[in-house]
Amino acid sequence: MVELTPSVFQIGPQYTEIKWSEQVSDSLLIKRLSLEKSLLKDLGNEIDDLRVAYQSIVVKWKNQFPEDQFQKLIKTTSTQRATLSDTVWKIPVCYGGQFGKDLLNLASEKKMSEEEIVQLHSQANYRIFFYGFLPGFMYLSGLDPILSTPRKSIPDRSIPSGSVAIGGDQTGVYPLESPGGWHIIGRSPIPFFTPSSIPPVWGKAGDLIQFNPISESEYERLKRNPKHPEQV
Amino acid sequence: MIKDIAYLNLIQTGPGTKIRDLGRTGLVQFGVPQSGPGDLEAFLWNNHLLKNSPGDAQLEIQQPGLKLQFEQACQICISGALSTIKLNGKNIACIGVIEIQEGDLLEIGKFLRGSLIYLGIRGGFQTQEILGSRSQLNGITDAASITKGAKIPFFTNLSNPVKTTFSHPKWDNSYLEKEEIRVYPGPEWYLLDPNEQKMLLSRDFHISIMKNTMAIQLEELVSNQISDILTAPVYPGTIQLTSGGKLLVLQQDAQVTGGYPRVLQIDEKDLRVIAQKAPGQKIRFQLVSEV
Repeated sequence: MVELTPSVFQIGPQYTEIKWSEQVSDSLLIKRLSLEKSLLKDLGNEIDDLRVAYQSIVVKWKNQFPEDQFQKLIKTTSTQRATLSDTVWKIPVCYGGQFGKDLLNLASEKKMSEEEIVQLHSQANYRIFFYGFLPGFMYLSGLDPILSTPRKSIPDRSIPSGSVAIGGDQTGVYPLESPGGWHIIGRSPIPFFTPSSIPPVWGKAGDLIQFNPISESEYERLKRNPKHPEQV
Repeated sequence: MIKDIAYLNLIQTGPGTKIRDLGRTGLVQFGVPQSGPGDLEAFLWNNHLLKNSPGDAQLEIQQPGLKLQFEQACQICISGALSTIKLNGKNIACIGVIEIQEGDLLEIGKFLRGSLIYLGIRGGFQTQEILGSRSQLNGITDAASITKGAKIPFFTNLSNPVKTTFSHPKWDNSYLEKEEIRVYPGPEWYLLDPNEQKMLLSRDFHISIMKNTMAIQLEELVSNQISDILTAPVYPGTIQLTSGGKLLVLQQDAQVTGGYPRVLQIDEKDLRVIAQKAPGQKIRFQLVSEV
């Protein structure tokens, strides 16, 4: 078994990027999550801030970069094994119509029916890799390559919160109203970011989500009585 | 300590006046920006003079034309950009703690140097706290900024006011004149063509009108051969190069991840230098060679 250690890049004295060069996958996510955990456990007192994305972690140190301890930690962590969460969240989505204004266009571009798009989008499991872009925005892996669609050349000015969209080879949910260049295929009635609660989100990196098609009347019912999604 | 709530009435303001404290920490994992003060040192200076806690909330003012009235007596401090300040119609120097009486009218006029003013108050402003911070941000707090007609709560009748008589506070304004911004190579710096690297470190750049608390866009374009990267972590002070060749200097309210190459990172000590620049002003990047 070849275990590639990540590369380490020092951004001035205060920041360190740890980066893996491999493709985005569950095994990469396991490595990142394990290292995040070890960093916070063993060097937590030295860390001012820690930010993550697909292939990297960037640590902001409180004072000096604790190089020796850090190198040791990188070596030991890269041989550890962790498993991913088995939590699966079921996200209700009303596809198409007034809630998914771009579904029809997307279907005709793909020479498919709207139902086929919905079928493909809702049958997959998506993995939460990290949060970014907007508070509560989940970066997800697992979009069927057939559904991959370049972003719009002119972004929409305002996309309603809860909108489920496809952009490039990613899919995601807009947790807040925002401008955006992704294709809107549906909308979920549940909250994705609740500023008044800690934590403000229900899912965590490593969890899986599924999109579950619902009717407009079901959407309205859930919208009136919003709650966290169910676990499968 | 006796504390009664009183209000500051915002009679008039330009856009972008915000309540700020040290911002949100420990929430980046949920995509929540930091939202601290753009000029941290100026912010801390006010709270220091007022004998407040370092994180007590203040007003961050970005535009001239602010007019406010205090319903009750209090003590305030003003720091950051230099401007003409009037108390009840008379020009005042804003050095040290200013004593405010019931009904006093404070006006902030023309900005003379710099572009961010901090108005601190003894005890701090007592606005809504969300996710551990009072800093206003779209999507987090009810309002993204303070607008005309707002009433901002503070404490009056504090039993232990700050003594001001013998204080001769020392504050150095020279950073407002500084044009050199110290930087370090970002993770994608080495993907740049050597000529572009040289150019980035030698020429003047101007602050464009696209300046807000999320990012400062620079006027001059840089030719960019680097393709966009997989979304990666970013921080305040990260300088991104967009596919169109624009340089974006990320600020306190910036998102926590981004997909543009991260070519430079500003030394934390110079974050305030660029944050205090106004559109049209120039800066130069100076690489700190020894890490």
